[in-house]
Amino acid sequence: MLVTARLRPPDRTVEVADVRRVGDLLARLEVLPGAVLVIREGTLLTSQDELRDGDRVEVRFAISGGGP
Amino acid sequence: MAMRCKRCRAAAVIEVRRHNAAFCRDCFFHYVGQQVTRAIAKHRMLGPADRVLVAVSGGKDSLALWDLLLELGYRADGLYLSLGIGAYSERSRRVCEEFAAARGATLVVHDLAGEHGYAIPEAAGKGGRSSCGVCGLSKRYVFNRAALDGGYDVVATGHNLDDEAAVLFANTLRWDTGSMARQFPVLEATRPGLVKKVKPLYRLAERETAAYCVLKGIDYVVEECPLVAGNTQMRHKETLNRMEEESPGTKHNFLFGYLDRAAELLRVADDAELAECARCGMTTQAPEDPAEAPVCAFCRSKARLVRTLPVVEASTG
Repeated sequence: MLVTARLRPPDRTVEVADVRRVGDLLARLEVLPGAVLVIREGTLLTSQDELRDGDRVEVRFAISGGGP
Repeated sequence: MAMRCKRCRAAAVIEVRRHNAAFCRDCFFHYVGQQVTRAIAKHRMLGPADRVLVAVSGGKDSLALWDLLLELGYRADGLYLSLGIGAYSERSRRVCEEFAAARGATLVVHDLAGEHGYAIPEAAGKGGRSSCGVCGLSKRYVFNRAALDGGYDVVATGHNLDDEAAVLFANTLRWDTGSMARQFPVLEATRPGLVKKVKPLYRLAERETAAYCVLKGIDYVVEECPLVAGNTQMRHKETLNRMEEESPGTKHNFLFGYLDRAAELLRVADDAELAECARCGMTTQAPEDPAEAPVCAFCRSKARLVRTLPVVEASTG
């Protein structure tokens, strides 16, 4: 079971083995779930959603430092 | 087991832990619209006939705000200020232009270098302010001036719950009561030369504005501003997010507790006397020495910058 995660910003891609759910992936990446969105095929996943072998997901950080 | 939508029990796409809720796509749009409508109504931010100028950067918050105001039927034009930050500014401007074109909306574009003689990257540290400091000062000035010149009733900005909580946190750490007293979802135009400012997204977390854009298919600039890395607001947000993870609702309670119970008490701390800037005519704080001519922070900063900077070409971004 292998999942490819693209983290941005910045933009880097990592492969993570043996993670069953989105929450497991975020824990492995040491990312706070409340600071990111996890996107698969244009829609959002919750921390309880299951991942599939070969999934490619984007872990998008939703924190901005500048004023709008 | 997959998470279920709190409203309709369909499969959820986003969890909002501070409200102990999760939503499917459609119910999330309902929730976002409801939060913005509540904000506007509670603080009488906008009237149906108001001409609204939305300050847009190409980021998630401002584009979500513009989209929501248009959907709610407001007469909302966008204002993009080019800051001259190379490819980042060029991409930001393009995203705003494409957003406007797709909706038949009006985008007003201003250019800092072309109109005022400096761009943000070169200005950093030169006038005694950080790049974020110069940027914030420049935006506040240009937004107000553009709204006055264009005959707009209100300037709307995309400040969200995280922005507001982080600013309140920073001001509280310094007990900067003057700034705290002026931090409110609406700032009325208390005298000629000032335009009313509103923050209709203050009830929504920035993760929610990003989710709104993703689910709505709004293309926004995901990349962070190259000048912002490690700035104070980012560090404060990270601190607050760690607290939020342990105790959902911390940021909401901090901000809303302040707005509901403490903001009124601090109004008395906002004792700044206002005057007209002798150089540009805009409203500014009156100097302590009445014999001194009032000059606004923007004019003072600009004068320092243009003395120290090489001539800058007008940016296209």
